[in-house]
Amino acid sequence: MKTRILIAVLVMLMAALGIIATHAQENVTLTYMASQGWVFDAEMELGQRFEEETGIHIDYQIIPSDQYFTVLKTRLNSGEAPDIFGGQSGVSDLVIQYDVEKNAVDLSNEPWASHFDPLVAAQATVNGKLYGLTLWATTATTWVVNYNTAIFDEHGLSVPTTYDEFRAICQTLLDAGIQPIYEPFADGWHHVLWFPELGPRYEQVTPGLADALNANEATFAGNETMLTVLQQYQELYDMGCMGQNALSDTYSNATSVLANGDAAMILANLTFPQQVEADYPEVSADTFGQFVIPLADNQILNINPAGPTKFIYSGSPHIEEAKQYFNFLTQPENLQYLIDNTPSMQTLPFEGLDLQPKLLPKQEAFLNEHPDRGTVYQTAVTYVNPQWMDIGKDLTAMVTGAMQPEDVLQSIDKRRADFANAAQDPAWSN
Amino acid sequence: MNLQNRYPFYFVLPALTLYIVFFIIPNLSGIGLSFTDWNSYRSEINFTGLANFEKIFSQNEAYLNYFSNTLVFTISTSVLKLVLGLALALMLNQGVKRFVHLYRTMVYLPAVLPTLVVALIFRSILNPATGLLNTFLRSIGADALAKPWLVDPSIALWSVIGVDTWKGVGYIMVILLAGLQTIPREYYEAAEVDGANAWSRLRHITLPLLTPAVVVVTVLNILYGLRVFDIIYALTNGGPGYATEVLATGIFRAFSQGLYGLGTAITSIQFVILIVAGYLVIRLMQREPVRA
Repeated sequence: MKTRILIAVLVMLMAALGIIATHAQENVTLTYMASQGWVFDAEMELGQRFEEETGIHIDYQIIPSDQYFTVLKTRLNSGEAPDIFGGQSGVSDLVIQYDVEKNAVDLSNEPWASHFDPLVAAQATVNGKLYGLTLWATTATTWVVNYNTAIFDEHGLSVPTTYDEFRAICQTLLDAGIQPIYEPFADGWHHVLWFPELGPRYEQVTPGLADALNANEATFAGNETMLTVLQQYQELYDMGCMGQNALSDTYSNATSVLANGDAAMILANLTFPQQVEADYPEVSADTFGQFVIPLADNQILNINPAGPTKFIYSGSPHIEEAKQYFNFLTQPENLQYLIDNTPSMQTLPFEGLDLQPKLLPKQEAFLNEHPDRGTVYQTAVTYVNPQWMDIGKDLTAMVTGAMQPEDVLQSIDKRRADFANAAQDPAWSN
Repeated sequence: MNLQNRYPFYFVLPALTLYIVFFIIPNLSGIGLSFTDWNSYRSEINFTGLANFEKIFSQNEAYLNYFSNTLVFTISTSVLKLVLGLALALMLNQGVKRFVHLYRTMVYLPAVLPTLVVALIFRSILNPATGLLNTFLRSIGADALAKPWLVDPSIALWSVIGVDTWKGVGYIMVILLAGLQTIPREYYEAAEVDGANAWSRLRHITLPLLTPAVVVVTVLNILYGLRVFDIIYALTNGGPGYATEVLATGIFRAFSQGLYGLGTAITSIQFVILIVAGYLVIRLMQREPVRA
């Protein structure tokens, strides 16, 4: 009798502990901080499903893009980082910006790591350890000029292959009273893209330039191709091709502007047409075509294997729960859900999971027509991405006449030197 | 020291301790760190002497522009707030007879609004294409006056000065109004009997007796202007380009880049400027008390 009572008490005790543990897990909230535009509705919906399954709540903290890196670095340095934080992958950023070896958890042995695209994984790896999960259409997402085919057809325009042709197109559109390019400066980041995304062209003209820049054997200042790009950029702005209100325009209005035909072109992701159609169902994605950035007569497709990446903070009290969330997101059915329900996500960088990509025939044809590809300079060259917003300020100063193109290049070199010296980069210390 | 003399010290000691621990020591530490290469890229901190200060005062650096913008902002907002605040205080003290309290509340209201709210509202109002201000100006045929207020480098700083003046003038008015109301009415009555006009009464009675309040207001304005950050960050983020960058945004930028030693050096310079400016203003503006 006493034994039975003892067993019953033990069972009740174990049940109570199980309830407490479950209740404790049910009370777990994972804080996930990311920049504006990095967390899509589909992921938040998956987050709700995750909470229903596990009781773990995800608190998404979205920070405006112009403040994000400042907030993130402050919280990392003060030891008060969220459980999960977002950051751009890219080996130099992982070390310089986030110090992942100190601040992030090694994810090399997670179940999804073996299916991760090696090129993308390489940008989230430091000293042989994988630190980040990149749920971004990196290899297929590229910044290209999206144009309204109806406007082009109406004015007898065709895809340019040189800068002169591009400038002529812009002039024709200006003469017709149409804003050629929607280029939002106000966010501080978008208008920078025209410059480092042309990395493959710089590399084509000067083979090995990226390596030389990383070894401090070359500089941005004095590079003729880069100077040409900035001068052409200035010319397009001065012509009015970017609109009269470019300095106060924001990227959040991009789909609206292009859907309404208020501008004919925009530098945007390959899947921008799908975003327009998602926001404005009456405007078909087929309305838009794409061509590569034609400054400096470029015809090479720019690829960025890095992208917004999730890291688990090493000081988090909920590391296992965060890993659980990552494992949940990377289940094949959930990855497919992200692809199917995120207009800008036409594929994800995973292999062997039989994911169905979501490219339009026109986009597949565009990719097939550009077999020549190269890595963008914000990933290929060190100390460029950390100064993205500063380059933005320089470009704004340039178009408003406060700086010359040569000054912008010198400014980039100076900041690279500042970061390199602060990091005691051997290439700058010698 | 007898027991009675020691009591004030005992009562001040807790607050003094907190002040020393949380203000004096960190400030002194900060000044010390401004002579180092403290940054977010390496854990070790090395003494570098005056390297940070040489960088700040180098002609090749943009920091000198931060100083000049800060100076322009400080002087302009101080003068505008003082003049407009005094004018409003005089009107509401003597000029306006009806609904005085309502007008005082309306003028003071912007001062209690959060700076971020004011900045977001004015970013919308001053939008060159769709903003309320330019839309109104175009509707009355004043297209030439519809400017790109916050995105034209030549006027962006003045636009920020205008917004900050609008927000802060009510606070200055309240201080000056309090000062006006301490001036005995008998002085004005005696002056009127002696045939003094309004300008003479202002010049010989109001302004001299208002000096203590003016000193307070001027010191407050100067210290605020030299430290300004939030209104500029929220309105323009130092842009377009670097047109509205000031000392505080420069400090923020240095810390954002992980260059903590440099940021601390700029902070130390700002600290010295604040001390010197505050002391000079008080010394220059204080006089012998005006006696009846």
